[in-house]
Amino acid sequence: MRLEGIGITRRYGGLTAVDDVSVVAEPGTVTALIGPNGAGKTTLFQCLTGAERPDAGRVLLDGRDITKLSPDARARLGVGRTFQRLAVFPTMTVADNLGVGAENRTRGPAALRVGALLLGILGFPIVDGARHQRTVDETLSLLRLDAVRDVPAGALPTGTLRLVELGRALCNDPSVLLLDEPASGLDTAETDNLQHVIRQVAADGVAVLLVEHDVDLVFDVADTVYAMAEGRLIASGRPDDVRAHPAVQAAYLDVTAGDR
Amino acid sequence: MLALDYLFAGLALGAVAALSGVGMLVTYRATGVFNMAHGAVAMLAAYLYWQLTDPWGVSKWIAALVVVLVVAPAFGAIVERVVFRPLQRRFASPAESLVATIGLLVLMLGVAHLVWGDQARHPASLFPNDVLHPGGLTVHVDAFADLGAVAIGTLGLGLLLRLTPLGTQIRAVVDRRDLAELSGVNADRVAAIGWALGSVFAALTGILLASQLSLEPFNLTLVVLETFALPVIAGLTNIPIAVAAGIALGIGSSEMNLFSPEPGPVSDIWNALHANFPVVLLLLALLLRQRLAQSGGDAGIATTFAQRRAVEPSIPMMALQYGLAALALFAPLLLDPVHLRQAQEVPALAIIFVSLVAVTGYSGQISLGQAGYAGLGALFFAKVSGDTPELFALLVGVLAAGIVGFATGYPAIRRRGLFLALTTFAVGTFVSRFVFQQPYFTNGVTVRRPSVFGWSLAGDHAFYLFELAMLAIAFLIMYNLRSGALGRSLVAIRDNEDGARAVGVDVRALKVLIFTVSAMLAGLGGALLAQQKVAFDPTSDFDPLGNSLPWFTVVVVFGADSAAAAVAGAGLVVLVNAVAGQAGAYLIIVGLLASFLGRLPGGVAELSRRIVEWVLTPRALIRRYLADTAPRPAPVLSPQGRAALERLRAARAERS
Repeated sequence: MRLEGIGITRRYGGLTAVDDVSVVAEPGTVTALIGPNGAGKTTLFQCLTGAERPDAGRVLLDGRDITKLSPDARARLGVGRTFQRLAVFPTMTVADNLGVGAENRTRGPAALRVGALLLGILGFPIVDGARHQRTVDETLSLLRLDAVRDVPAGALPTGTLRLVELGRALCNDPSVLLLDEPASGLDTAETDNLQHVIRQVAADGVAVLLVEHDVDLVFDVADTVYAMAEGRLIASGRPDDVRAHPAVQAAYLDVTAGDR
Repeated sequence: MLALDYLFAGLALGAVAALSGVGMLVTYRATGVFNMAHGAVAMLAAYLYWQLTDPWGVSKWIAALVVVLVVAPAFGAIVERVVFRPLQRRFASPAESLVATIGLLVLMLGVAHLVWGDQARHPASLFPNDVLHPGGLTVHVDAFADLGAVAIGTLGLGLLLRLTPLGTQIRAVVDRRDLAELSGVNADRVAAIGWALGSVFAALTGILLASQLSLEPFNLTLVVLETFALPVIAGLTNIPIAVAAGIALGIGSSEMNLFSPEPGPVSDIWNALHANFPVVLLLLALLLRQRLAQSGGDAGIATTFAQRRAVEPSIPMMALQYGLAALALFAPLLLDPVHLRQAQEVPALAIIFVSLVAVTGYSGQISLGQAGYAGLGALFFAKVSGDTPELFALLVGVLAAGIVGFATGYPAIRRRGLFLALTTFAVGTFVSRFVFQQPYFTNGVTVRRPSVFGWSLAGDHAFYLFELAMLAIAFLIMYNLRSGALGRSLVAIRDNEDGARAVGVDVRALKVLIFTVSAMLAGLGGALLAQQKVAFDPTSDFDPLGNSLPWFTVVVVFGADSAAAAVAGAGLVVLVNAVAGQAGAYLIIVGLLASFLGRLPGGVAELSRRIVEWVLTPRALIRRYLADTAPRPAPVLSPQGRAALERLRAARAERS
């Protein structure tokens, strides 16, 4: 499905974190959102996932207005996501973490979900366990997580947990996948594998949108890049064009100079 | 009397309420811990004051000064050092700190109960009880003295927070304890001062209030606890607002005397509202407020004291455990009638505890109002069983509790941690005051034991077996709640609500569901409890303070995510009370255990698991040890946090 943010604006008191920004994530492609610290990437991302409500603007999923839907309602429509600050389930095994994703991918009406809950309490779960198990197993091997399958997630390092979160989102069978800094904490081999996974997911027809600091990864994997600075969109288009754009160069040089 | 007279009369109560509210706010601001034990500190201080002045004959001013300025701050500092510093040291969640304060409350209630008993005391008033009549008005001198105490206390506090370096440090520690410590603030000292100050305010509240009310362990504690409406109204931040709200509460409550409707239903409702004005205010404040400025982030879930072990025990091990448990549960049938009657309390209590495991252990929601549901189950069973079959009445009782649980589930959707804890406590207190304590509902209520298809269960053996059957049903429901997709979704909410939402877990439906199921189980347990005693006795069985909070504490201490441990907890409660020959004896043990939860994560269940494991296979212990010392994942900082840390490190390097 196509995810679209139109004229998104988000203010915190006097600060306008995101100022009238429009982005589109097309199915089957990888779209990246880059920009220096404080550019408003994460805020925009939160508006798309539903964690924040924009003060102005709309979020559309295949033309349907989902601006007012809660994060879980969006997820049930097929908008998957990962978190910059990890949000795995630490007391569950890796397989169970992914299992939660697989088991909750019913896209049916609310009555069906509540009915399933009530039947579950009475001891008649109506879940196709074998199918979920297959999904989980396939995803585990795709992400090369088979070795840690039965390890509680709380005992694993950050890099592995990023992949667990990605796996959980994939098991949920998303049509749109939003990734928040998926490569931070990953080593080179893991990043290469991640790149491969992202390409494969997009090739399956999913619209992937990622926010990422690792500029090399972004320019390798993205089909479209949006560059933000100080809450505004400063450039967008094909990776090479954006990289060469003077405003992007200036924004990054500025920040690099300020950091050192 | 004139409206103006009521205004002056209300001032005294309002001033004391404000004092109490400010005290809670001070501790909260300085430590990030909401002190549920505030009321118990006030109660113990009042008892100490009474002990000094009445039996020991110390002059009242010396006694008051000793209690308020020496004993109270020392007590606060010790509590910080012994109970809360270990929790802070291992970055315990606010939920764990909250449980520690509840443990402290339960412990202090137990101590007061043990030392001074239930008998009401009447300490001497600190200020003269004189009444002046300037211009035909009636003015109580002590009201103005109380007001003076509030003014001095609040002003002093305001100056301390705004003008001294300590005030800045307090604000820094509350915002980001780790960063404040990096920049050289001694966070432990700030926390100790916060606890000491809070205790001073609590002690003063207790002494002033005890002379206006009578002094009993539960009564005074609950009255003070109800003033946490004020910090809530003040959004847990603004001290002047808390003071203003306290005074308004006192005056408003007093002015309600002006309106006295004709005797009848309207007057009954009005009188109930008047007598329980703070509770109404509390519930309204909690329901109307959309958010509460919780410090320490939103880590309000109960994960850390509900540690599900990812690896299930082996099948022979489980068979052994369940075999032993079944044996222990059937053993009381061999006891003599007196002890069998005592043992009948165990299954009833166990079902209530299991209901708390469902809501707190399995899905990480704090519920401090469980006695309300249990009492509703008992009351509706008693009312309906008069002219219908008892089993049907039991079902009605369970459904009635479930409906109120459903209604509590809705506010629980958006509330977490402390906010949720306070809301559930307020609901429980509201139910207690407006249902259990209203003669309209409880007059002439009789309870009898059920009969099933003409087979009477009045006999002690038959009734005990019936209770075990009900416990088995409760366990079946618990098993379904824990297994499969439903169980994983609930744990997902407990472990990380945002993560659960991200994959479309219907958090709203699940929260409402778990509160409803939990309330229904509690209602069942409550009905059995009343049947066991053949009486509906809300004061001793379904009290928000005397039951809800200790029950919750027992469940957490015994390991909130283990239904079997909850049954063991029920057994221990009944056993301790039976051995000590006193109904409140278990409070001390449970309170102590909860206060030291900081040193005992996972509760008694986790401890006994480790012991059993060690006895069976020392190798398992070695493996566990190795797992514990494996490198932990590095903390994940936000870009802002990372930048701040870099700046701090740079500044430090420059200095040295």
